[in-house]
Amino acid sequence: MSSYLFSRVIQTIVTLFVMSLLVFVGLYLVGNPVDVLLSSSATPAERLEVIQAFGLDRPVWEQYFVFLGKALTGDLGNSFVFNQPALDLILQRMPATLELAFVALVMALVLGIPLGIYAGLKPHSLVSKSIMTFSILGFSLPTFWIGLIMIMVFSVQLGWLPASGRGQTVELLGVPVSFLTWDGLSHLILPAFNLALFKISLVIRLTRAGVMEVMQLDFVRFARAKGMPESRILRVHVLKNTLIPLITVIGLELGSLIAFAVVTETIFAWPGMGKLIIDSIAVLDRPVVLAYLMITVIMFSVINLVVDILYSVVDPRVRLEGGSR
Amino acid sequence: MTRPILSIDDLNTAFKVGGEWRNVIRDVTFDIAERETVAVVGESGSGKSVTAMSIMRLLGPNARSTGRIEFEGQDLLSLPMDLMQHIRGNRIGMIFQEPMTSLNPVLKIGDQITEVLMQHRGMDQGKARAEAVRLLDKVRIPSAQARLNEYPMSFSGGMRQRVVIAIALACEPKLLIADEPTTALDVTIQAQILELIKTLQQEEGMSVLFITHDMGVVAEISDRTVVMYRGDIVEADTTERIFRDAAHPYTRALLSAVPQLGSMAGEPRPLRFPIVDMRTGEAQPVKPTADTVRTDEAPILKVDHLVTRFPVRKGILQRTVGNIHAVEDVSFELRKGETLSLVGESGCGKSTTGRSIIRLTDLTSGSVTISGRDVASASKTELASIRRDAQMIFQDPFESLNPRMRVGDAIAEPMVTHGLVNRADARQRVGKLLEQVGLSPAMADRFPHEFSGGQRQRVCIARALALDPKLIVADESVSALDVSIKAQVINLMLDLQEQLGLGYLFISHDMAVVERISHRVAVMYLGEIVEIGPRQAVFENPQHPYTRKLMSAVPIADPTRRRVRNISNDEIRSPYHDAGYTPAPLHYQEVSAGHFVQMQAVEKAA
Repeated sequence: MSSYLFSRVIQTIVTLFVMSLLVFVGLYLVGNPVDVLLSSSATPAERLEVIQAFGLDRPVWEQYFVFLGKALTGDLGNSFVFNQPALDLILQRMPATLELAFVALVMALVLGIPLGIYAGLKPHSLVSKSIMTFSILGFSLPTFWIGLIMIMVFSVQLGWLPASGRGQTVELLGVPVSFLTWDGLSHLILPAFNLALFKISLVIRLTRAGVMEVMQLDFVRFARAKGMPESRILRVHVLKNTLIPLITVIGLELGSLIAFAVVTETIFAWPGMGKLIIDSIAVLDRPVVLAYLMITVIMFSVINLVVDILYSVVDPRVRLEGGSR
Repeated sequence: MTRPILSIDDLNTAFKVGGEWRNVIRDVTFDIAERETVAVVGESGSGKSVTAMSIMRLLGPNARSTGRIEFEGQDLLSLPMDLMQHIRGNRIGMIFQEPMTSLNPVLKIGDQITEVLMQHRGMDQGKARAEAVRLLDKVRIPSAQARLNEYPMSFSGGMRQRVVIAIALACEPKLLIADEPTTALDVTIQAQILELIKTLQQEEGMSVLFITHDMGVVAEISDRTVVMYRGDIVEADTTERIFRDAAHPYTRALLSAVPQLGSMAGEPRPLRFPIVDMRTGEAQPVKPTADTVRTDEAPILKVDHLVTRFPVRKGILQRTVGNIHAVEDVSFELRKGETLSLVGESGCGKSTTGRSIIRLTDLTSGSVTISGRDVASASKTELASIRRDAQMIFQDPFESLNPRMRVGDAIAEPMVTHGLVNRADARQRVGKLLEQVGLSPAMADRFPHEFSGGQRQRVCIARALALDPKLIVADESVSALDVSIKAQVINLMLDLQEQLGLGYLFISHDMAVVERISHRVAVMYLGEIVEIGPRQAVFENPQHPYTRKLMSAVPIADPTRRRVRNISNDEIRSPYHDAGYTPAPLHYQEVSAGHFVQMQAVEKAA
């Protein structure tokens, strides 16, 4: 197990290294941030000063090694725009995004799994067909459009829920969260549901397919021949087997929920890190983009690790193996 | 006679196919008395499993049954579902064919046993676990206590079937329904499970309904036998009378097609099966087999000290930590017109030997020569030309034909690939080949799904013949076929051997078929040949303990020859060894002319 963890950490470090190299070179090729940041009225002297301050006058490989050296000490550089440490900028906004993503995930599971089970058990009923139609809509309608419609209906016309911002927050273990206050919760519902819609559809489909597949298997028939009631067959025999593929996909999807909540955050003016990264890419704020992507890589790795561990808990056939036996 | 424990009266079961109800079994009527074993026997599609499932009402919403199934004074068909659940697993236990899939892979063995006890017996967790240990002991699973916390994956097929039996018998049912319980198991394991069912039946005093296609198993286990054919019962009688003088032509046809171990005593050459007409019950006389073995020519296949190992890699660096010694120091020769059978149980390396010979699997060391050309060192083009001489037929005719290719094209493909014929000639040749294997040339335009299993295997044979091979490696080629079809395909293979002088390397686990078809036999165990020789010598004078064990495990299709057998509870051992292991060199002793037996180191004795 420890050697397994060790090999996973090595893999993450290699990924981080390759990713940073790609982003560094990529952004270098796209353009010069100085052109974007400085107004056209800046004098050549001012220009030169800024270039030197950012270290952009040195060859790109040298810039990369400077970055690497600093990164090893935990310093990912200062934002070109805000002149603050890039890491701090991102960490300030991360709790908002994480909260949004987790609430969306919970919604996806709490709504998706029961609906999926129902649709899998009674695939020909009218309700199941409605559930499946809903999931097709969830898949195919663009997030931003649904977000706008939701604002129009629930905020503008009905006036039930607020349309933007995070509302009142309270500190939980030193981190500001919204879901513990009524005001915060009301601000959270629309964006979280908007973000969750696609995932709900996905979970419904995966669960339905899993249930339909497992119900056909021999051990379900054998459980019936043992005289087990249907409720127990579903709860014990079917559900655990259905969860196995679900865990993998959900793990990956959680990563993408966090990393790509950009659209929803923009529509609902949610003060998360998605907005920050879009702005930073626009002005080629390399330190922020790099720091953001590195955090994303680490987050994905951790999530994948958790998924693998969960997997081995649910499915005894999976054994975690690392360097040696 | 006492009142029957189960009484089936006019049972009809229909399936809904495309909005229409289609009858699958018609007017099935039979009884099972207390402590009696009744076998329902038939080929695929006979409705024997549907009968069993109808009794338990396990067929789901797409099926409906009418008639009466009376069990302990209740009609099961009209019972509400909650009362039916009380019968299932409690009063009637059931076991299925596939032990590998009958158990839930993600639940511990212990939980799968205790849930039945808690459901039907109202036991609490602690009591149920104690009872589960007792049950595992009863089905002869060693160190039962410790194994409760294991998952099905750490049990072998035979052990899993024992667990399934333990579950089915947990509540001491009055009736056990066993649906092909040994079909998926190796023959020595099958013997163990049959013995276990018999013993437990006597201990518990229950009745058994035994569903099988295997006449040998029927003769071993049942008191009475019900023969089914396409959904109807054609005959029902005591097992002895069925085997002695069956009344119905179908039963006679079925019995004559069953290969019987020991029936070839004194017969020097392979023998065709008598084919009995299913309507009249009359048998065609068996054509005597010609002597096809060409001892005057050089052997077409020479295998010399063949070794094939599969490395087992672990860790980041993928170091080889051990090897599966699939084939270990195997040597033999095969002549034109000769059939050499490789026989053994699963994991003995017989299939790997076959695959290594035409290099579908790369060999580790040793040499293989086909028609004087070395296979191991052949380049890609050389290998292609060698493979023209050596073709393969696989076990599953459903999977070895491309479902989207017309069979004519499938047969023509090898000829076209090797550039032997143009398209127009290919068609003619395909027609001839189809005729040769007993099909009509007009069938070339059909797709594989339009054929039955036996016909598909004929198509596979035609495809193998397309390149005029000298050697055919037949890997379990008749194992998936029903008995009557199996007999026909074996007869066809013998015909072709006479006409074309083919050499067969016949790989099989079925001792009785092997006895019928081979000139020579090699018995494999853990990757090694333990005994090889002329068929008569090996079968009539088996020398190696493993050969003897294998032969005594084969059920004999004759109820008057039932034996009391001493059956060990051995598992089949694994051919895995840690890296660096060097097997001891093998030594053989010649018992009689051409009959070699491995000299046994003491620990090797099976």
